[in-house]
Amino acid sequence: MDVILIVQMVGIAIFGAALYTIIGIAPGTDETAVLAPVTLVLVIAGLEPILVLTFFIAAIVAKKLTDSIPVAVAGIPGGVMSAPMVEHAMVLKKYGMPDVSIRKMASGSVIGTIISVPLSLLLATALVPLADVIEQYSSQIFFFGAIFLALMTKNRWFAVLSIVPFAFVIQGLRNLYWELDIVPEDTTVFTSFFLGITIGPVILKLFELLNRRKRRNLPRYGTKEITMRKTKTDKGFPNPFKILDKNETISSAVSSVFGVVTFFMSPVGMTIFLGEMIASRIKDPVKRAARAISSMDGLTNAAYLAGTLVPLIAIGYPLSPTALGPGHALFNAPPVFTYEHNLHHILSLNDFVAATVIGAVIAISITFFITIKYAQQICAFVFKYIPHEAMLGLFFGLVMMLAYMDAGVLNIAGVLVIGLLAGFLHRKGVNYGVQFMTLYAAPWLVGLIF
Amino acid sequence: MSEQGQKENIEVWEDLVHIKDLVISLIICSVTSLGGYLIAPEDQQPLIFGLIGAVLGFVISASIIKPKRTFSYMDEE
Repeated sequence: MDVILIVQMVGIAIFGAALYTIIGIAPGTDETAVLAPVTLVLVIAGLEPILVLTFFIAAIVAKKLTDSIPVAVAGIPGGVMSAPMVEHAMVLKKYGMPDVSIRKMASGSVIGTIISVPLSLLLATALVPLADVIEQYSSQIFFFGAIFLALMTKNRWFAVLSIVPFAFVIQGLRNLYWELDIVPEDTTVFTSFFLGITIGPVILKLFELLNRRKRRNLPRYGTKEITMRKTKTDKGFPNPFKILDKNETISSAVSSVFGVVTFFMSPVGMTIFLGEMIASRIKDPVKRAARAISSMDGLTNAAYLAGTLVPLIAIGYPLSPTALGPGHALFNAPPVFTYEHNLHHILSLNDFVAATVIGAVIAISITFFITIKYAQQICAFVFKYIPHEAMLGLFFGLVMMLAYMDAGVLNIAGVLVIGLLAGFLHRKGVNYGVQFMTLYAAPWLVGLIF
Repeated sequence: MSEQGQKENIEVWEDLVHIKDLVISLIICSVTSLGGYLIAPEDQQPLIFGLIGAVLGFVISASIIKPKRTFSYMDEE
């Protein structure tokens, strides 16, 4: 590995960490919605594979470090993953300790990262022998995965029944494009459908605003009140092992191991489950909350890294919620990456280790430092100057552009159709996992019936 | 821009927006992103131009739209 490449890796890691330090703080930024499009664009733009992975690791570590900040300061989740922590963070906020929350969460994150990197690499190496079998039956695995995930949701029979019709809509649009010669017969439109599913809930909401009666009946609000208590900043470089006490360090470490091993399960579900299990044993409310949030943050971070790295290194197919969601562009981003030719095939184990370590170390050293020192200032900046409208506009614009790039003007309508349907399903409790698995299994499933 | 004190914001994606501002931002960002992609010179990567357009749209929207949050510091007691 030459020096120039390492310098480039450091550079892209700094870029990823800086970008997602800011995005992480913005409220309501779903991990999949903010990470998948940007990673995808970098892949399609032809960035070197090892740099893409470095960027992704730095981005996800930084995002996981900072999305806990708005939770601690304002009780607003910075992403889907931090939603389960709101309750505990609010306890600390009530006792006037939002800064303690931030420190504990960020330190939990650091422990999660330190544990999950080597452990994921080990687990991945152990799973390599299974790769051939999995590769052969990937469509079937996705289909049964979709059914399995559907059965795990609250509205399970609705979710199960939605799989086949949704697959038909997807294949129907693809066939239409082939028939009209908009895309060549051997090209499968994928990227823009994926993004349509991702921003489906927002698209549905936007369309509802066009309905006058619906619009009138929506609850109206003034402005969102956010107050923060001013805190002093400390000198020197923060040490996560000093911020957490011994018990908190141990339970963060144990939860992180748990997060790695259950990489194929829903990280949000595991976080809620584990958080409740740990919290229920401690009586003192402040200690309980501190223990819960540090462990939960450790787990989410570990689950995210393992969910990306294990399938990527061992299998080459996105067989975890993280790989299916935020990390999907690393597996499939036609024409650059396909299932037969993606990071799994291109990079050696040494490349994986180098990219992961450089990405994680840089993100931790920059973002952890910034998070602990300037959490308040960053929050104040985002809350004061970044309107939510601009964030929504940015993602909407990106999706429109990628839709056009995939299959021209008609595909903008196609992506809206997918988005509306996906948004409707999402509202009925059919989660992203079920929908993404259906998207993957659609060609096989429809081919099976006809 | 919305008038002060009136309750006219709605919730989209866990934060508050004003419908008119949202429409403005969606139009600006779609035009700049797609526009960037379309005006890209023949031999260049159109995606890069689209991305620059998207970021530009974001910056323009952020500068003309006011966030629907009131933010204040609590004094330390």
